[in-house]
Amino acid sequence: MTKPVTIIMIEDDEGHARLIERNIRRSGVNNEILPFTNGTAAVNHLFGSDGTGVNHKDQALLILLDLNLPDMTGIDILRRVKENKYLKCAPVVVLTTTDDAQEIKRCYELGCNVYITKPVNYESFANAIRQLGLFFSVIQVPQAAP
Amino acid sequence: MGGKLISLRETLLTIAATRRRAMGQILLLSAGFLVLVAISALSVVLVTQSRKDNGWVVHTVEVENQLNALLLEIRQAESATRGYLLTTDPQFLADYKSVSRSIVPDLDKLASLSLDNPVQIENIRQLQGPVESRLDEFAKAIELATRHDIPGGVAMLHESGAEDSVRRIDDVAGAMRAEENQLFAQRTHTADRTQQLASIVTVVGSGLVVTLAAISIFLVRRSSRARDDAEAQLRDNNLNLEATVDERTADLREANNEIQRFAYIVSHDLRSPLVNIMGFTSELEELRGDIFRRIAALAHTSDSAPLVPAGGGDVELPLDGKDKQLSQDFTEALGFIKSSIGKMDRLITAILNLTREGRREFQPVKIDTRELIEGIVATMAHQAAEAEAQIRIEPLPNLVSDRLAMEQIFGNLIDNALKYLKPGVPGDIAIRARTKLGFAIFEVADNGRGIDPKDHQRIFDLFRRAGTQDKAGQGIGLAHVRALVRRLGGTMSVASELNTGSTFTITLPIAWAASNRNRDTMRKGDT
Repeated sequence: MTKPVTIIMIEDDEGHARLIERNIRRSGVNNEILPFTNGTAAVNHLFGSDGTGVNHKDQALLILLDLNLPDMTGIDILRRVKENKYLKCAPVVVLTTTDDAQEIKRCYELGCNVYITKPVNYESFANAIRQLGLFFSVIQVPQAAP
Repeated sequence: MGGKLISLRETLLTIAATRRRAMGQILLLSAGFLVLVAISALSVVLVTQSRKDNGWVVHTVEVENQLNALLLEIRQAESATRGYLLTTDPQFLADYKSVSRSIVPDLDKLASLSLDNPVQIENIRQLQGPVESRLDEFAKAIELATRHDIPGGVAMLHESGAEDSVRRIDDVAGAMRAEENQLFAQRTHTADRTQQLASIVTVVGSGLVVTLAAISIFLVRRSSRARDDAEAQLRDNNLNLEATVDERTADLREANNEIQRFAYIVSHDLRSPLVNIMGFTSELEELRGDIFRRIAALAHTSDSAPLVPAGGGDVELPLDGKDKQLSQDFTEALGFIKSSIGKMDRLITAILNLTREGRREFQPVKIDTRELIEGIVATMAHQAAEAEAQIRIEPLPNLVSDRLAMEQIFGNLIDNALKYLKPGVPGDIAIRARTKLGFAIFEVADNGRGIDPKDHQRIFDLFRRAGTQDKAGQGIGLAHVRALVRRLGGTMSVASELNTGSTFTITLPIAWAASNRNRDTMRKGDT
């Protein structure tokens, strides 16, 4: 029917990335996961060398975003994604340790679709990610614009 | 800071010096005044003395004049007598009469003038005899002449005794003159000395006054110069002060924000690795299960081969001695790691919450204190029932303050009071208040286990607790409460003894207006 959804995971902590990936897989999601450990690499991939994001014109994407990145804040990436005409339809899941109310509000204002706080408690963490995986398996992601 | 301190000390020194100088000036002025008074008094005394001395000099001259006049009169009387005797001209007789009438009174007058001098009194007494006898002779001679006995009268004047009287009058008069001359010299000298003394006193006094005035002028000029300097410095300081205060306030605000940001970032960044540690520990736990199942299975295979195919991994196989011990050690280690992570997570969460509280802007609103506390007590009714505690709310004043902060303050205190009651003793918690000078003083008193006085400071420190550690808690409540009370412009203290209960006292302004501190907080979180 269409191309499978690619999950772009922007997460600076490799341990977290591993745990997230593992739990997503455990929930039975087998989509491709592209991990990025810093903002620059992710931005380069998302918007391409010309900065327009035209490369992903025909791709269905789902972005998993951490807000605390070594080289930039996830909020900047979120804003750019939502301002980009090729990427703005891609669902963004903010997955971060910050549970500050203002931060959450800001992310939603900028157009994030889901905001999840990483719990330190692993049971909760694993549970949250698995449910996110289940969520991934049922949500509809917009296909490339005509 | 150092410069300011030094200039402050200089100012203090200047003040002390000014005071000393003022004292010096007062002393100087008093000295000048005293000198003036002394000079005036001395001058008056000396002038009086001088006048008296001069009076004595004049007196001496008077006495001499009187004496001379007396002698002259005697001579005139003699001449008149002789003239009459020679010419019997009635003119001489008239002369004689007028002169001889005045001789005795003049002698008396002389006597009265010389009353002060015993030597002259004696002399006058001696003078009296011869003068009287001489007058007698004149009178007799005149009488004889009027009876035309001229030779008898002439003989009368040349009587043997007459010569003697004349000589004695001359002698005594000479003695008296000598005496008066000597007195005159002596008195003139005294008068001169007095006048000299007076002029010396005047000159010296004037000199002293001039000197004192000069010193005074010098001191006044110096002190006015010092005052001018001090005024200039004061102006400078005033100008600088406001700038300095602003600068310091900005610094403090900056430092405060820095600390808040630091705490926020640190607690955030600490959390990330914690997620990993916790996550992979849990993964390890999973692995442990797999490994030990495998070991058990292997052990079983070697012991009794037939069992294996049936259900391998699904069936829990018992481990034997050594493996069981290993498995237990493994579980224990993982358990410690997980509980420590849990604790660390709670601490980090607490710090995060505290910094979040610190950033929250307080809103002053009117608060019905009683309603607020009744609300808190209602939410704790279950705990209170469990502890068999009654909570008494006495009349409370209403405030203008931040509602959430007030809820947290009293919530924490009442919660603590319920938490640390004495086991087996029905709890009695009282919340009361009084007002004083624009402040409301609240007391939350319990009859619980109390706090050792040596721990009174410690309980307000973050993450510090006191007494028996049998209740769950992070040691945050009181630190948080105190921070809130301070932000609301109040103070907080505790009075407690072990086993007799505790009383927490909170003083809050009745009408709190959002102060500058509110603006210290950060506008938004940076992550």
